[in-house]
Amino acid sequence: MSILAEGIVKTYGRSRVLDGVTFAAGRGVTGLLGPNGAGKTTLLRIVATVLAPDDGQLELLGQDPGTATGRLSVRRRLGYMPQEPGFHRLFTAFEFVDYVAVLKEMTDRRSRHDEVRRVLDLAGLSDVSGKRIRTLSGGMRRRLALAQALIGDPALVVLDEPTAGLDPEQRMRFRDLVSRLGENRTVVLSTHQTEDVAALCEQVVVVDHGRVLFSGTVRELVGTAVGRTWTSDERDAAASVSWRLGTGRFHHVGAAPMGVELVDPTLEDAYLLMLGDRAREGAQVPA
Amino acid sequence: MTTWHIPDSVLGGYANGHISPAVAASTEAHLLTCAQCRVLLAPIFDTARLDRIWDSVVQQVDAPRAGPIEALLLRLGIRNDTARLLAATPSLRLSWLVGTGIALLLAVLAAQAGDRGVVFFLALAPVLPVAGVALAFGPQTDPIHELAAAAPYSSFRLLLLRSVAVLASTVLLAGAAAAWLPGPAWLAVAWLLPALALATLTLAFATYVDIVWSAAGLASLWLTIALSGLIRGRDPLLAFQAEAQLIFLCAAMAAALVVGVRRHTFSTLGGSA
Repeated sequence: MSILAEGIVKTYGRSRVLDGVTFAAGRGVTGLLGPNGAGKTTLLRIVATVLAPDDGQLELLGQDPGTATGRLSVRRRLGYMPQEPGFHRLFTAFEFVDYVAVLKEMTDRRSRHDEVRRVLDLAGLSDVSGKRIRTLSGGMRRRLALAQALIGDPALVVLDEPTAGLDPEQRMRFRDLVSRLGENRTVVLSTHQTEDVAALCEQVVVVDHGRVLFSGTVRELVGTAVGRTWTSDERDAAASVSWRLGTGRFHHVGAAPMGVELVDPTLEDAYLLMLGDRAREGAQVPA
Repeated sequence: MTTWHIPDSVLGGYANGHISPAVAASTEAHLLTCAQCRVLLAPIFDTARLDRIWDSVVQQVDAPRAGPIEALLLRLGIRNDTARLLAATPSLRLSWLVGTGIALLLAVLAAQAGDRGVVFFLALAPVLPVAGVALAFGPQTDPIHELAAAAPYSSFRLLLLRSVAVLASTVLLAGAAAAWLPGPAWLAVAWLLPALALATLTLAFATYVDIVWSAAGLASLWLTIALSGLIRGRDPLLAFQAEAQLIFLCAAMAAALVVGVRRHTFSTLGGSA
C-alpha cells in the first residue's frame, strides 16, 4: 500500500476538520468523494506532506512523513496538484513548470527542459508553452497545474479537485490521462462529482464532516443502494430525494415502499443515500 | 539528372563533420537532389552526432528566453537553476526594485535639507531590505508556496538564497543613493550594519513567528529608535555612532547564530491552514 492512514485528526481552532480518518490506497486511482467542506483538501494536504496531522498514524510510500528524512524521500517521489495552485502570472507556462522542476531538484538544464517539454505535451499544452500564464484560460491553467504534478514521473500523484472548471471535452482528455497514470502508480484525487469517480476510480473513499463513511470499491458502494431506488409516474412522498427524468417518469431514492418498480442504483444514488443516512443519524442525536 | 556523385572521401568527411563549411554546404545541396548519394550516406552517418545536432536545434528554438532579472543573474555567473528560483522572488521583481529606488531617491533629496533629512535617509535604508526579505518567501506573498512546501528542495535554502539576493540588490541601490548624502563620508555607510542586523534578526525571529510579523515588529522598533534622535535637544545621529554600530554588529552575529541553530524550523510541516 502506498498510503496507510489510521485515525488521522486535524483541528483548526475549535473545529475538528478531520476526526479520525482511516483509509488505505495502493496502485490505481482512488477517489475521495465528499461534499464541499468535508475535509478532503485537508486530508490531501496531509498526504502531500504540506501539513502535519495532530494525531494518528501515516505511512506514505513505506516512509514516515513525520521524520525529516522520511518526508524528503516521499517528496522526491510525489506529484501534487493543489486545489488552488498559485501561479506567477508573468511566467510563461514553460517557465512555471521549469521552476517547479528546479524545486524538484532537477539541476541539469538540458534534461530538465526535456522533462518540462514532456509533461507539457502530456497535458496537451505544447502549443502554449511560450504563453504567459495570465493569458491562459481557466481550463489551460488546470492542465498546467496537472502538468507540474507529473514532473519526474512520481510514484504517488495527489490531485485536489482536478476536474473543477473543466468543460466536457477537457474532462474526457483528463480522464484519459489520469487512467493511464493509474496503470502503474498510485493516484489519489478528490472530487464532489460522482461521474468522475464512476469513470475513473477503482477505489472510493466517501468523506463527510471529517469522517470516512465508506471505503471500498465503486461496485461495493453502488451495492449499498440496491433495493432503495425505484421509478414511478408521479412524485412519491416515501422517497428522500426524487427527480423527474427526461422520459417524464420520476426517479426516487430512499426507503422503497412495497410493490414499487425497483431499478438498478447508480453511484450517485448510493452517494446521496449515504450522505442522507448520515444526516438523519446526526439529527437524532439529542442537542 | 546528374551523372556526378560525391566522392567517398567527401561523403565520409560530411558524415563525421570533418570538412570545411563551404564543402559541407555544396555537399548538402547535392544530397537534397540526389537519392543515390543519400543512400550511400545513410549507413555511414553517425546517428549519435545527428541526435546531438537535432537536440541543440530544439534547445535553441524551444528554450524560453530569460527575463531581465534572470538574464542579469545568469550573466553574473549564477547557476541556471538558482537563477530560475531567484527570478520568482516577489521582491526581486523590477517593480519592487524601481519602488525601492524611488523611495531612496526621495530620502536622498530630503537629506539635502540638513541633519534631520539625513536621519530620515539612514532610518529608511535598513527597512527596505527587511521588507524585501519578508516578501521574498512565505504563503502570503509567494504564490507557489504550497507547491514549494511539497517539493524536496530545502525551504531553508530557498529562504536564504532569496534573502541574500534581496539584501544584495537593495544594499547596492542604497549604496548608490548614499553617495549623494551630504556631511562626513562615514554617514554614507552608517546604515549598512543596521541593515544587516535588521535582516538577520528578521530571519532569527522568523524561526519563532511568521516572517511578516517578525519584519513588521523589528522595522517598527528600528524606526522608533532611529527617529528618536529627532527629539529636540538630542543628538540626531545618536543611533548611528560607533558604539551603536558595535551593538548592531553583535546583534547581526547573534541573530545569524540563532538562524543557523534553528534552521530546521523552516523545513518542518506547517501546522496551520
